[in-house]
Amino acid sequence: MSNSALQVARTGLDAQNTKMRVIANNLANVNTTGFKRDRADFETLAYQNVVTPGAPSDAQNRFASGLQLGTGVKLSGVGKISTQGTLQNSENALDMAIEGGGFFQVERPDGSTGYSRAGNFSLTAEGNLVTSDGLPLIPAIQVPQGATALTIGNNGTVTATLAGQNEPSELGQIELANFTNPAGLLSVGNNILTETAASGPPQVGEAGTEGLGNIRQGALEQSNVNIVEELVNMIETQRAYEVNSKMISATDEMLQFVNQQI
Amino acid sequence: MDKLAYTSVNAMKSLMNRQTAIANNMANSNTVGFKADMVSAKSQYLNGPGHDSRAMAVERPMQADMNSGSVTQTGRSMDIALEGDAMIAVQAADGKEAYSRRGDLRIAASGAMVTGDGFPVMGAGGPITMPPAERVDIGADGTVFFVPQGGDPTQPQELDRIKLVSMTGSAISKGPDALFRAANDGVLPVDDNARVISGALEESNVNMTAALVDMIETSRAWETQAKLLRTAQELDESSAGVMSMPQ
Repeated sequence: MSNSALQVARTGLDAQNTKMRVIANNLANVNTTGFKRDRADFETLAYQNVVTPGAPSDAQNRFASGLQLGTGVKLSGVGKISTQGTLQNSENALDMAIEGGGFFQVERPDGSTGYSRAGNFSLTAEGNLVTSDGLPLIPAIQVPQGATALTIGNNGTVTATLAGQNEPSELGQIELANFTNPAGLLSVGNNILTETAASGPPQVGEAGTEGLGNIRQGALEQSNVNIVEELVNMIETQRAYEVNSKMISATDEMLQFVNQQI
Repeated sequence: MDKLAYTSVNAMKSLMNRQTAIANNMANSNTVGFKADMVSAKSQYLNGPGHDSRAMAVERPMQADMNSGSVTQTGRSMDIALEGDAMIAVQAADGKEAYSRRGDLRIAASGAMVTGDGFPVMGAGGPITMPPAERVDIGADGTVFFVPQGGDPTQPQELDRIKLVSMTGSAISKGPDALFRAANDGVLPVDDNARVISGALEESNVNMTAALVDMIETSRAWETQAKLLRTAQELDESSAGVMSMPQ
């Protein structure tokens, strides 16, 4: 006798367990600058046909609907929800937040380009503008020694007053990149996302143009994780897990009863 | 030997199928737009000469519980929840039109607009394909607006309208891919009054409490049938005992 109810309930446990991991990761990153929350997407597994819809029920008639038994659920994917996080003023001249769409471009150790919303930059001893992990910004911005009053405009223009000069001089222009489907970017950790076939190629441009967001100096974008929402999701997931485990014990008891009675 | 044992075994097979369907509903309690399956059985009398005392449990074709699930706000511009009995027309794997309540739409690598489980969404003239866009929005009547790459975000362009249909008055059934289809390969008419809520999703309509009660009820019914099976065995043993030769 098929005990598929056991296997179906198991798929439920697996999927809820994975969803819990996604929620745990969101909660763990609640204070990560520029983090975008993930959402677990569920999908039904194939149905088993017991009676096919449209099969003849007698010479004249057909079954209007069939009898199909579902075989459970799986996680179809984890999608990033790219809503804007709140901006927090940090009063640090090297902190930047993107207000609107777009990503900072950084050079990864293997030479490829990474994309990030985390704007907590710092300067190296040589004066290069780098991420908190030391990855240089693309295009590279070099701040000469002794430069004061570093200003980053809304469009990404970096100016500073150099030693011995009165007028501020332009050091470079920060460019942002955006994608047709930012949810298709691949997370590689350390706040970095990379291009995939699903995201499409990057469109690079000056901040504030072509749908790219403005750069806000002296502010950081907080993660867009909503603690209350995550907690509600967590409770819901926990309950769904419990119910699926109840199904396993109920089916187990049914089989146990049969084994003992017959 | 009495045929009681077969009646019970048949009922047990049917009850395990029912338990599987309940397990599937429970497993899908978090699947967007999922409609719970309802399994029912009817009694099948084998009419003939004599007294009609024996009725087999025969499973009836399954139906889906079409009640609405709860709607949650997600804030994602490509999430839509369908109001009333509207359904989204999608292209099933066989190329034919099928219907879904899943509103977590996304853009596939090919540029096609697909539902969360990967079926292309139909527009007025076939599956919707998105040009490279900065932003996609869906209006309350299912119209898809987009801001082209490099376009002015304040001037979204109209792309297509998602084909929304009404299932009222039409026989629909759920297929093995969890999509709904009209009876006899029919196509449902476009519903011009259909409305969607953008930035929201319809959750699964599985009622957990009801599912738990059904689960317990099915377990107990199963035990009753197992008891009957045992009784049938005892009856058989005692009648065999009566007829055995004295030693």
